[in-house]
Amino acid sequence: MQAGSALINRQPDRLIAQSEGGPLSVRQLIAFTAHVAGHLPEKQYVFNLYPNPVDYLLGFCATTAAGQCTLMPPNRLDTTLDAIRTDYPDSYVIGPEVSGDLDIRRYSKYAEESGLGSDPVPVIPDSQLCAIAFTSGSTGAPSPNLKSWKTLRDGSISNAAMLLNGIDGAVNVISMVPPQHMWGLETSVLLPLFAESAISHHTPFYPLDLKDALESTPMPRVLVSTPVHLAAMVRSGLEFAPVERVLCATAPLSSSLAEIVEKVFSTHLLEVFGCTETGILASRLTTCEEQWTLAEAFNLDTSGGEARIAAAHLPSDVRLQDAVIKTGDKRFRWLGRHEDLVNIAGKRGSLADLNRRLQSIPGVIDGVIFFPGEEHGRLAAMVVAPNLGTAEIRDALRHQVEPAFMPRPITKVERLPRSDTGKLAKQALLELFESMRQSTGAFS
Amino acid sequence: MSAQNEQEKELAQLIIDSLNLEDVNADDIDPEKPLFGEGLGLDSIDALELALAISQKYGVQLKSEDDHVKETFSTLRNLSAFVQANSVKSSI
Repeated sequence: MQAGSALINRQPDRLIAQSEGGPLSVRQLIAFTAHVAGHLPEKQYVFNLYPNPVDYLLGFCATTAAGQCTLMPPNRLDTTLDAIRTDYPDSYVIGPEVSGDLDIRRYSKYAEESGLGSDPVPVIPDSQLCAIAFTSGSTGAPSPNLKSWKTLRDGSISNAAMLLNGIDGAVNVISMVPPQHMWGLETSVLLPLFAESAISHHTPFYPLDLKDALESTPMPRVLVSTPVHLAAMVRSGLEFAPVERVLCATAPLSSSLAEIVEKVFSTHLLEVFGCTETGILASRLTTCEEQWTLAEAFNLDTSGGEARIAAAHLPSDVRLQDAVIKTGDKRFRWLGRHEDLVNIAGKRGSLADLNRRLQSIPGVIDGVIFFPGEEHGRLAAMVVAPNLGTAEIRDALRHQVEPAFMPRPITKVERLPRSDTGKLAKQALLELFESMRQSTGAFS
Repeated sequence: MSAQNEQEKELAQLIIDSLNLEDVNADDIDPEKPLFGEGLGLDSIDALELALAISQKYGVQLKSEDDHVKETFSTLRNLSAFVQANSVKSSI
């Protein structure tokens, strides 16, 4: 008999979500899942486009119970969705913008009306392909990372031990990260399936949203966020209700920001390290430790000159896109990211891919997109295109580059400081960038 | 494009300053064109940054409803009208 396990490993009367309509128990979620799984189209793949984590959780449970695999595009650009759809034609969409039966929220009464709890918990085979998380590869084509039920389940059990370690009782999770992102999926959708936690329907974005969400959510509260969101929250100067723990991931967090966050939310901040290929890997208490501690389930091997991660629940070893130094059996120090990759607002992109797109715009003779440094915070572009305006270049890029990677400013130059071999030295590039900024400043 | 009024002009400059839109002129922002996606191509991180700048300058805190695609933020004109209607600081 094939190995498998329950979709939800919680007691039936426990709370699994705080939906807009009120608390949702495990029993209600199972009733909903049992009903909806039988009404879904007979397709192999599904795009779950609900921005709200509770809706996403409902959709994920129903489609997974139906044996389907959730496609997780790296962004919502039409061109990205179309590219994935071409490779996975046996797919359909559930979400708030699709009509009729495919907006699964119309079945919510099946969750409310259940009370007998007679539905069995769906059993998912270990080998079922449950999700494909796409990352932007260096070729520009979204590259697939396959997540079997075994990978998601064992990863989530590992995550629960790390993320909720030391917290007594059931927590209420409030997430500022979309569930389509691996960090969001692991914390707001998968965690409640295996750990004493309930995901809130609140999706706070502005500081005032978060203030209201915290005040309307019972203790103990856990906040899932990112450095850029946390920085905006503390800069607002608003007073926030305390949280039990802040979980932060997607980009490096400074210890000074971590300290301020701990003060503002009267909390401890756990910074989390991971990537789409491995899921959540390691964590540190940023205000008091510099080094990272790997979760029990993972092993790090740096002996071959590169960092490789192995775990029993991963289909194969993963080579990290980061430079790290192993300092102990489960400890490491993070040095930085490899050159070509940029990470902006939790999205990973390849400069090589962005540059190819820039250079293929008709009228662009030469051009480069680069990261001037943390202080600038964004990508910038310098372009040789005598017959194009910067607005035209921006328009041409917009259709193929997601907003987080749009270069700003786009500066027109006469030529790029290329060496004899055609290479662009970062230093020469930065010097030209600085001189252009100063000269444009003089006229404004 | 329709002309900016005084308040829209001031807000357009705040958008440019707070988001480092160095290659855009305040006058070029069409008050009736979308600020996000098409138009200026701003993203959600820009929305956060702009919300902070607006709260500092005008004392207005923005709040999203269920999704972040807000009527308020759709155009310079709508945003400016919202800020003026909710501003607690009198403009000098």
